[in-house]
Amino acid sequence: MLEKFNYDNKIVRNFGIATIIWGIVGMTVGLLIAMQLFKPGMNMGSQYTTFGRIRPLHTNAVIFAFVGNGIFMGVYYSLQRLLKARMFNDVLSKIHFWGWQLIIVAAAITLPLGLTTSHEYAELEWPIDIAITLIWVVFGINMFGTIIKRRERHMYVAIWFYIATFVTVAVLHIVNSFQLPISAFKSYYLYAGVQDALVQWWYGHNAVAFFLTTPYLGMMYYFLPKMANRPVYSYKLSILHFWSLIFIYIWAGPHHLLYTSLPGWAQSLGVVFSVMLIAPSWGGMINGLLTLRGAWDKVRDNPILKFMVVGLTGYGMATFEGPLLSLKQVNAIAHYTDWIVAHVHVGALAWNGFLTFAILYWVIPRIYKTELFSKKLATVHFWIGTFGILFYAVPMYWSGFTQGLMLKEFTPDGMLKHPAFLETTLAVLPMHVYRAIGGTFYLTGVIIMTYNLVKTMLAGKLVANEPAEAMALTPVFTPHAGENTLHRALERRPIQFMILSLIVILIGGMVEMMPTFMISSNIPTIASVKPYSPLELQGRDLYIREGCVNCHSQMVRPFRSETERYGEYSKAGEFVYDHPFLWGSKRTGPDLHREGGKYSHAWHFNHMMDPTTMSPGSIMPPYPWLIEQKLDISTTASKINAMRTLGVPYEAGYEKTANNDLKRQADEISAGLAKDNIKVGSDREIVAIIAYLQRLGVDIKANKLSSKL
Amino acid sequence: MFKQFINNFLAGQVYLITSLWIFLIFFLIVAVLLIKMDKKHITYMSELPVAEKD
Repeated sequence: MLEKFNYDNKIVRNFGIATIIWGIVGMTVGLLIAMQLFKPGMNMGSQYTTFGRIRPLHTNAVIFAFVGNGIFMGVYYSLQRLLKARMFNDVLSKIHFWGWQLIIVAAAITLPLGLTTSHEYAELEWPIDIAITLIWVVFGINMFGTIIKRRERHMYVAIWFYIATFVTVAVLHIVNSFQLPISAFKSYYLYAGVQDALVQWWYGHNAVAFFLTTPYLGMMYYFLPKMANRPVYSYKLSILHFWSLIFIYIWAGPHHLLYTSLPGWAQSLGVVFSVMLIAPSWGGMINGLLTLRGAWDKVRDNPILKFMVVGLTGYGMATFEGPLLSLKQVNAIAHYTDWIVAHVHVGALAWNGFLTFAILYWVIPRIYKTELFSKKLATVHFWIGTFGILFYAVPMYWSGFTQGLMLKEFTPDGMLKHPAFLETTLAVLPMHVYRAIGGTFYLTGVIIMTYNLVKTMLAGKLVANEPAEAMALTPVFTPHAGENTLHRALERRPIQFMILSLIVILIGGMVEMMPTFMISSNIPTIASVKPYSPLELQGRDLYIREGCVNCHSQMVRPFRSETERYGEYSKAGEFVYDHPFLWGSKRTGPDLHREGGKYSHAWHFNHMMDPTTMSPGSIMPPYPWLIEQKLDISTTASKINAMRTLGVPYEAGYEKTANNDLKRQADEISAGLAKDNIKVGSDREIVAIIAYLQRLGVDIKANKLSSKL
Repeated sequence: MFKQFINNFLAGQVYLITSLWIFLIFFLIVAVLLIKMDKKHITYMSELPVAEKD
């Protein structure tokens, strides 16, 4: 029976507009922080616009707001058409749309306020985490509802990618959000140290896989054949590519933790699977590029296909580089440097950015039943965007190599050639300037696109409900001879498909995590490692609030170049009370794990007030507000209680007297500063952060001292 | 007993080899399914997005 129905184009349009707006916001914040990396004064002297706090705003905005809305735009457009059905429920679509925008607004408010969990790409605090979960479930119900009421029996490969995305992001988000709330916007992770690091990078790596990659592969498999007007090169390759990709990706997380205190076997496992990952990734890229075989003449004069080609090439480059970076020898140089920044931006700017632009250019004229306002402007956007990527990536690669090698350079006498970390930073500053120019190009392209699309929208009229018709599905499927294979059956059963995808993605995570959590010998305890004092604990939370972890690692790797520079390499047992871990992933400044006792209290005070007085040329911003603001000690008791619940051995009842200890230690630091003619009240935030910095890494030093005696 | 076992084996090798086996078996299953798939069905599936009119 032929049925008439309408596709919901309004929701597609809304997500499209949100994609554009948040894209501009996220990239503008990116440009602002890029400029702070050569001119710290670009923070405008405000704590709310300083690098440490708004770098997470940039990453969250471009990942979850720009790319997130882009995913929903692409999914809502293609899902309806591939299934020959309107979205399951219009109200759910609206809740999904507005809920997601509210979450983004909440992020834009809380992150500059310093309300952060410090887990990279998962910085949002627990109430927002709950909201994300709810909205994600709404998205899932809407998607599966549509799949169930479909008029096309078989699910095209794009839909598998959407299902895998839904189920895996749900698992990742929940597992990486186990937190113990202590107030409305502050919580501690249940995991500590090494385990916290493993969970975070299992999440972080797979957020790239299942938020930035799989939904976009799904969109590629739908939109590229549409754009080129020919079927995908190999459907069989797409099946092989899908299952291998979702299986292998989940294992590769530990490559973010090479040479850290993570157990060696977990690191090796991460490397092996990272290298294997090149096969399915390139399978996808090749399948995309070969879809254009015989259509390359179209690429010449079609800017949309140009975006797709460069996007796919960027995907190929980033996924070739990923396995390369996971090799320990390469990682030793590249990790913590701008090389990684270049790597992620090739993926983000080319793959996610260009695919999003191509889809916007393709979808908007269609749902407005008009032509694109200017093909010429789209071509200008393509070229300015491509140059933007080059101007961004090349200087960052240069900077990464330069700094990575400089940090490892020794003189013939066996001394560090560049003992001051700052020397290496100053060497790469011009590259930071070029990077900002590249970013400006890219953003200019997006603004040109916005103008082009607004003009297109004004010229046409939105077909909010696009009429369509299709045969209703007969309730029972009777297979013809020889076509009832297992995979075909699976393509008709969305829920079973989801469960199978879930099992496939759970295997890797479980093999890596269960032993790390269960076997005590994986994290040898160190007797001299003691819980933080109340003042240090408060200082640690200020360190988290200011986002120090965005520029400073706390992980001395076992290289001579690092032990010479920073001191004893970091041990797993040193982090057992760190909820959350603060190892960091980028060294814009030096590592701080052995910072304790290295400098005087006065040095830290002056350095915080104006870093250039202690380190001329430093690009660290000043933190005068730490000196002006009073430390909130009303939270001490709840923090001690929470930590005890999480297994930190504070004595019973200690929360009642903790503030006495806190004040005593603060008075000591304040008195110490007074000896150096620095008058500051012991109730100021700076005192707590000094206490924390002076504590970093000293437990091991104490251990060494006592073993010598 | 499980904990005793897991505490005593040579973690590194066992994990690596087991993981590789899991993947290999999984990969072979997918490959066999693919080879057994009907060609007409493959063509039908790959033409799904193109067949649908704008």
